Amino acid sequence: MEAIVVENLTKHFRKAYDKTLKGFFISLAKGEKRYKEFTALQDVSFKVKQGESYAIIGKNGAGKSTLFKVLSGIIYPDSGRVEMNGKVAPLIELSAGLSRDLTGAENIRLNCAIFGLSKKRIDEVFDKIVAFSELEEFIHTPVKFYSSGMKARLGFSIAIHIDADIILIDEVLAVGDKDFKKKCYAKMEELRQSGKTLVVVSHSLKPLRKICDRALILDKGKVLDIGEINEMIDKYQEDKKPKKKKKGA
Amino acid sequence: MMLAYLTKYKELMYFLVHKELRIRYRNSLFGFFWTLLEPLGLMVIYTLVFGYLVNLNKGLPEGAYPLYVLSGLIPWTFFNNSVRKGTKALSSNASLIKKVYFPREIFPLTMLISNLVNFIPAFGLIMVMAVVTQQSIQWDQLALLPGIILIQSGFTLGIALLVSVLNVYYRDVEFIVNLLMRAWMYLCPIIYPVKMLFSTDADPIVQQFADLYFLNPMAVIISLYHGIFFPGQGVPAHPTIPGFWVIYTVLVTVILFLGAWYLFRKMNRRVGEVI
Ligand SMILES: Nc1ncnc2c1ncn2[C@@H]1O[C@H](COP(=O)(O)OP(=O)(O)OP(=O)(O)O)[C@@H](O)[C@H]1O
Ligand SMILES: [Mg+2]
Repeated sequence: MEAIVVENLTKHFRKAYDKTLKGFFISLAKGEKRYKEFTALQDVSFKVKQGESYAIIGKNGAGKSTLFKVLSGIIYPDSGRVEMNGKVAPLIELSAGLSRDLTGAENIRLNCAIFGLSKKRIDEVFDKIVAFSELEEFIHTPVKFYSSGMKARLGFSIAIHIDADIILIDEVLAVGDKDFKKKCYAKMEELRQSGKTLVVVSHSLKPLRKICDRALILDKGKVLDIGEINEMIDKYQEDKKPKKKKKGA
Repeated sequence: MMLAYLTKYKELMYFLVHKELRIRYRNSLFGFFWTLLEPLGLMVIYTLVFGYLVNLNKGLPEGAYPLYVLSGLIPWTFFNNSVRKGTKALSSNASLIKKVYFPREIFPLTMLISNLVNFIPAFGLIMVMAVVTQQSIQWDQLALLPGIILIQSGFTLGIALLVSVLNVYYRDVEFIVNLLMRAWMYLCPIIYPVKMLFSTDADPIVQQFADLYFLNPMAVIISLYHGIFFPGQGVPAHPTIPGFWVIYTVLVTVILFLGAWYLFRKMNRRVGEVI
């Protein structure tokens, strides 16, 4: 069975000039177009099988985080179809879904509630989340005082404990220390064994070879290729060396 | 549609309401009484300024001005706080909204609920004040209180939904809302008895526009609260249709709410990217 089906997905962003009513009226009076469009995803199609581990690789600004946001429903696509079969736990960019002013403990409860866990279930997983993140000492400290690695630990620990079927991991492991990374990779392997679907975005390609089965190369919002993980990583690294395309301003 | 996710996200709403209230009460009983000090303080100020200096207490029973002010001010505060906090309800939770999806209506809704939770004990304060100042209570009007609160909540939520999503797109909505709310307060019978507008010795210009006064749904709602303590200061009867202004307010509330819901849904599509 397919866990994720994406067909002909396209997303344009509007680059707003001024996010105020004043700006709105000024540009209205001048009769200018209020925004220019930018295509972040163009005609993206792929499928991820249930229990599969899938990687998405691409340069900065290729649209990887945008794709994850569309998959998790945070932003709406302009056209195309997205089908997610199961509960999705998104871990998008470093701060994940953490609220700065709340403590670690409050963030755990808040996130569990957002993902629809019952009070009873929250109490059950709370200690597991704290234990996995190894943040016992700081759990009553507001998250704004956390280091990026600590936030990543908390975010990752929450995401793997909310009974999701599909876990989207965006570059969260980049800031973890060596021990935590190791623990995460082991956990991801374990999740995979238990039939969960993982989609991973990472710029550190080496670990992907071990964790993932297949990969998709995203280039300026378009799918360059889809295939077996090692092939794709080799291809991506080859592409990068000879031709250095200049980015338009 | 609303009830379906109300049950699904009840844990989340409980959490958010709890958080709001805890911030306000700072975990203490004293903190709770502290929140009642604000309307009481304003009551004293308004009584001194408008009751004695400007003599706005015409037509009210002797010594009833403080109760009149309080019984309008507390419902107004419920509206005012819900709308003002509602304006920032989405934009202040940007870090969350950008990273996870859940129905975003929950933010303005929890603002309304937590202000409602504050309003109910504050209403008790009005009752205490009525007893202290020995004013009579119209029990038949008091029985309508749940209905009055329901209308007010619907109207408030409609406005809060609108301004919360607008403030994501245009950040200066917040300032405009703050300004408009101040003006709106003076268009409601809070510091002056509503009967003053309709008396024969009112300014001719005021008399001319007095008929339009109750087009403002909040003026009707505040007057409904006044009607509980001051039979002469309630919503005026309409010459032909009984309960005209109440029916009007309910209709406006329903239309506003549906319109706001629709617009919220529509504008919500880009909230995740512009916030
Ligand atoms: N909310 C937004 N509004 C306008 N443009 C946006 C928005 N979010 C992203 N973009 C643009 O879309 C493009 C893709 O961004 P995205 O964050 O998806 O890249 P990425 O592949 O995750 O890059 P990285 O490897 O650096 O994380 C970028 O050019 C970015 O400027
Ligand atoms: Mg990214």
